[in-house]
Amino acid sequence: MMQPMPVSPRAGTRRLALVALLLGLGTVVTYVGLLQALIPLRPVWYLSAIGLAVLLAGIALSRRRHWLTVTAFAVTLLLLGAASLFNFVATRVPMTPSALVVGRPAPDFTLPDSSGRPVRLADYRGQKAVVLVFYRGYW
Amino acid sequence: MLALSPDSNERSQQLANRLHVNYRFLADPDLAVTRRLGLVHAGGGPGGKDVPRPATILIDRAGVVRWTAFGTNVQSRPDPNEVLRAIRAL
Repeated sequence: MMQPMPVSPRAGTRRLALVALLLGLGTVVTYVGLLQALIPLRPVWYLSAIGLAVLLAGIALSRRRHWLTVTAFAVTLLLLGAASLFNFVATRVPMTPSALVVGRPAPDFTLPDSSGRPVRLADYRGQKAVVLVFYRGYW
Repeated sequence: MLALSPDSNERSQQLANRLHVNYRFLADPDLAVTRRLGLVHAGGGPGGKDVPRPATILIDRAGVVRWTAFGTNVQSRPDPNEVLRAIRAL
């Protein structure tokens, strides 16, 4: 009968550190890749994935101090710090009072659409409900 | 559905083609309307440029605002199902 290949605790720990490192770096690569496809990865997902990477690297490090486990822990921790700074500081938007208030009429405006034709918000009145989406643009 | 950004018409057309969407993209290059509605994220763009802050607003047939979602983070967008629920509730 085939015996499963014995995995030494050392190799297992190194593998765990490697998985943690790949998970952390892979999350960053995935984030950037998906952003190119205009699919932003939600903060809860990338923060959880990198958090898990830190946890795995921490377990590996607690089992054995080795350059790989130390590197994995340091790198994933750094990634978590950078991701947190990005999410909680860099991308925060200050709240300013808006003229669009629930229960009040929307102020009218006219802007050109992508074919250059002027679109007036008031023209929809009595015709259709409007979902107005403001986004930063892709410059 | 009207999508509003400072992008040029060409850029918005490219985006519409890429995403295969048929809603109308409105260009507010100098943010005049965005500013008047209080939806500017001052210095939030590249090189400290002003940009709109993410916002989704539902306006009923009478022209009255019925539902709003103002992003507190440039990454935050309302869940599409939430928007649909607000539309169905009109």
